[in-house]
Amino acid sequence: MEPLEVVIHLKTPVALGFPWIFLDSLLAHLKIMDELGERYYTLPTKIASVEVDIPVKRWRDVYVASVSIFEPVSVGLQVFQFFKRGDFPFPGGKVNRGSGFFKDFYLKVAYLPVQRVRFYCTCEKNEVERLLSKLPAVGKDRNIGFGFIKRVEVNEMENEWGLVKDGLAMRPIPVAYLRGYEDAVYMPYKPPYWSKKNIALCAVPFTRVKL
Amino acid sequence: MRTDVGDEWLEKWREYFLTWYDEGGVEEKVNEAVEFALPYLDEGMVSVSGGKDSMAMLHMLASVKHDLTVFHWDHGRWLMPREVEDEVLRNITAVAPNCRLIVRRYSLGEDEVSRVVWAPWYREFFTTLRTLGFRYHLLGVRADESHRRGVRGRVVNRGRWVEVHPIYNFTWRDVWAYVFRHNVPVPSIYMRYAKLLGWDRVRLVTFFDREFEKYGTPQIDSVLSWRWRNNP
Repeated sequence: MEPLEVVIHLKTPVALGFPWIFLDSLLAHLKIMDELGERYYTLPTKIASVEVDIPVKRWRDVYVASVSIFEPVSVGLQVFQFFKRGDFPFPGGKVNRGSGFFKDFYLKVAYLPVQRVRFYCTCEKNEVERLLSKLPAVGKDRNIGFGFIKRVEVNEMENEWGLVKDGLAMRPIPVAYLRGYEDAVYMPYKPPYWSKKNIALCAVPFTRVKL
Repeated sequence: MRTDVGDEWLEKWREYFLTWYDEGGVEEKVNEAVEFALPYLDEGMVSVSGGKDSMAMLHMLASVKHDLTVFHWDHGRWLMPREVEDEVLRNITAVAPNCRLIVRRYSLGEDEVSRVVWAPWYREFFTTLRTLGFRYHLLGVRADESHRRGVRGRVVNRGRWVEVHPIYNFTWRDVWAYVFRHNVPVPSIYMRYAKLLGWDRVRLVTFFDREFEKYGTPQIDSVLSWRWRNNP
């Protein structure tokens, strides 16, 4: 395992469902897809937990992998509003799309028109490169063209910045593991990030902490 | 209106809305709305969610009747984070200090499940309205909010009570103009959402509520109000 910097160059803006994207979550997702192959698509929805060994160093039970740093940092959040039609085939005749079963959904997506997403981690370089080469897009709403990837760079580094960089937390870290923290919020800190079991009072990314 | 965001963007919009107050004839609309509502105030209650429409309406009505009866529904902490709820209650008492404030809290609102199932909400809310027993319910409903509200009418007889909509003919511009002109306090979270969604689309609704998934609202909440997602 070595300290790495992962830079994902984007073709299209990245849509968000949370202020950050988690690298360990991306790698876990790719690893499960890699191991299960076609069976991945027939899994029961929201299975209790999938044990997956991702090539990332652990500190206690926290992966040494930062959240996303969007660049250029000056870019502000935008919103894209669109109609989404239900996935059901329309029957013949007149169909009411204003309400009822075939109602169009008027959705909103928050997105960042950034050029790059940067992560820091301590990982196995070859394995990370192999997994990320299978990633076509990042973020939410990839099906409507958000977050498409142009290329991925994985560079070796001298410093380990996956957890803390210049005194700032680079990812959610449970406050129980810290000697000091500036700001804390209940949030998940390890994959799967949708699971309530992984929620703890954590130091907020990019705020001051003492390990 | 709180201006602690201290933003050039907000100042520009403030200037726009203050201009609109004069040019859009908002003063006349306000006078008409108050005159329209007056006969219903003695036997009615003013329903205030804390959003811009109901707060503007409350401000107008409190200027002509000090001892209003005001009803506020507290959705509970999973649907309405306590910071927002506390701010709403502070705003109501600041605008109508002599009102008789009735607050009822949604019993399921202390459970996370309230974000996913909303049938019990409707049952409990309408039961509460029935038990309060007021003849007239004054609401901050506006015709331009949606087609459905546009065809509803200004006075609607619901059988057990009559809904009255004093600011029915106001547009979103009129309401914001009134809010800025009279410094009506509204929850500060409006600024964050208005900047992203626009002043015409910003609304104070329950947070992370699956009922509004068809409008993409929970996804926007997860980005803008992520702090309240797991422990409001």
